[in-house]
Amino acid sequence: MNLPIEAIWQGLMNGLALGWIYVLMALGLTLIFGIMHIMQFAHGETYMLGAYVVYYLTASLGLSLLAAMALSMVVMAAVGLVLERLLFRPLKMDWASAVVGATGLTLILQSGSVVMFGLYHRNIPLLAQGPFNILGTVVPKDRIAAVVAAVVLSLALYLFLKLTEYGQAMVASAQNPEGAILQGISPNRMSALSMAIGCALAAAGGTLAGSLFNLSPYMGLVPLVKGITIIVLGGMGSLPGAFIAGMTLGLIDGLVPILFGAAWASIGPLLLVIGILVIKPQGFFGHAE
Amino acid sequence: MQNKSSLASSVGWALAVVLAIVFPLALSSIYWTSVLTKIIIYVLMAVSLRTIYLVGEFSLGHVGFMCVGAYTSALLTLKAGLPLALTLPVGGLLAGFTAFSLGYPFMRVKGIYFVILTVLTSESFRQLALNWKSLTGGIDGLIGFPGAGALSLPGIGQVDFGGPNEYYYLTLSVVCVSLYLLHRIEKSRLGFIWLAIRETDKMAGAVGINVLRYKVINFSVACFFAGIGGALLAHSEQALSAMEGASFGIMTTIYLLVYMVVGGRMRFEGPIVGTVVLSLVSEFTRPVEEYQPMIIGAIAIAVVMILPDGLSIIPEKIGLWRFKSLIAKSKTDLDPKTQEGL
Repeated sequence: MNLPIEAIWQGLMNGLALGWIYVLMALGLTLIFGIMHIMQFAHGETYMLGAYVVYYLTASLGLSLLAAMALSMVVMAAVGLVLERLLFRPLKMDWASAVVGATGLTLILQSGSVVMFGLYHRNIPLLAQGPFNILGTVVPKDRIAAVVAAVVLSLALYLFLKLTEYGQAMVASAQNPEGAILQGISPNRMSALSMAIGCALAAAGGTLAGSLFNLSPYMGLVPLVKGITIIVLGGMGSLPGAFIAGMTLGLIDGLVPILFGAAWASIGPLLLVIGILVIKPQGFFGHAE
Repeated sequence: MQNKSSLASSVGWALAVVLAIVFPLALSSIYWTSVLTKIIIYVLMAVSLRTIYLVGEFSLGHVGFMCVGAYTSALLTLKAGLPLALTLPVGGLLAGFTAFSLGYPFMRVKGIYFVILTVLTSESFRQLALNWKSLTGGIDGLIGFPGAGALSLPGIGQVDFGGPNEYYYLTLSVVCVSLYLLHRIEKSRLGFIWLAIRETDKMAGAVGINVLRYKVINFSVACFFAGIGGALLAHSEQALSAMEGASFGIMTTIYLLVYMVVGGRMRFEGPIVGTVVLSLVSEFTRPVEEYQPMIIGAIAIAVVMILPDGLSIIPEKIGLWRFKSLIAKSKTDLDPKTQEGL
């Protein structure tokens, strides 16, 4: 097989950008799961809504992409707070009811956005324009900008969890809810915080993806599936695991279709998960419950 | 009491079957017959989904096994020219076998982890069907495979199932037999072992039940019937598409879960009630088609918040309430003397 080196570079950069967007999804999902023990199946819809908020802010208010993205993260964080209070807090006790609640929410948000935004594709401004030279190969700048933005956000989350009081309280609440309550950490407040941060990260991911590709009401499904795959591969609640699994999935998406064909790329993550489950059921970095 | 309730339930089942037989004749419209065929197929899907819940697991990947059954049956009739009487069970068996081989790694995890794996499975199968162009037609889908056609039935001879009404009755009989089998399995020793695993899997393991093996059996049985449902659906529509919005998308899988939970996951008839009620709701809200998923989603959320045991529990609740009021009444009616005598 003789592939031009440009095609491989292109696939690599695409894979890297996709991988980081998936990591943003997975971080939100794993944060929400860690605190609330709920799998937020409507996370893909949050991602999609975040991108549409950016679309309206840039198209009708004329804001710059960065400002619109920040505002959209704030808006989706508020949506996350409302959802936590009205839907997920009452359902937190029974995981099965929570699954139904989250999937019901998916139906509502997805069909709602089909009604509101229509089925045709839309575009938001590019992150950056023009090519970029790395080691003598030409790479589009917007891929690199997306990677940088996602890395900054992930790093910010990491520092928040490690260094601030609220971040440490969240970690404590995820590790041992009863112990955290004894220390005066309210589980409900932590749940609200995790939903707000998770939704904001999803909105950022949606914006980055929307600027690289385009917007549609169904755009949330693939990143949702990738996000939950990352959680299984990397181990629930593990940030390094999420990072490695995200890169792996991104590179599968970027490179495998070029090298082996699209059919392998579609079945690859499943085979990977099966392999991991057979060898180490807790994921790369997970630990047994 | 036992006899009375079992009599009532037999009457209920008989009534349901009679209604299902009479409806297409009474309505006599091809449109409604095709709607009813679809509802009956989804009844089988929702009931077999509940079979997985017998070991305490939710699957959001049932539609993936439906996809396996549908494509298997369609491709066998299209490329090998086999009759439906052969391809239907083969479609089910292949779906069951796929579930069997996935079951060993998957059933090692529980709860939400299993849900995640099943979502991944069904999406992977759909993507595979979308991308494996040489076999499945890719984005164009698969069209032009034959419907049921003439099948030879033992004792009756050749019967033509080509028409919509005939196909409806074929579907109805296959689904009835499947439901009967699922019900028998649930009431058998195997079913009780599944329930034991759902209640406390560690205890079940301690008394010598091979938990993993029985969970894998459960998953395979449920997915076998999902494959049957898929094959029935394929030959009813005679066109298959793996696109996002088509039958094998994530929406269908969510709908199946909602049907099961809204109907009631603790009772065998729950998914049947849920599927029929919600499908009819979808059907009657067709004028506002774009709001349909919203309505179904709202019903799902309302049911899990207000009535977590589902709609099929309502008669029992009313019965309990009447029973209680009856007791209260009889207490006030009773003569204090006779009460002392008791």
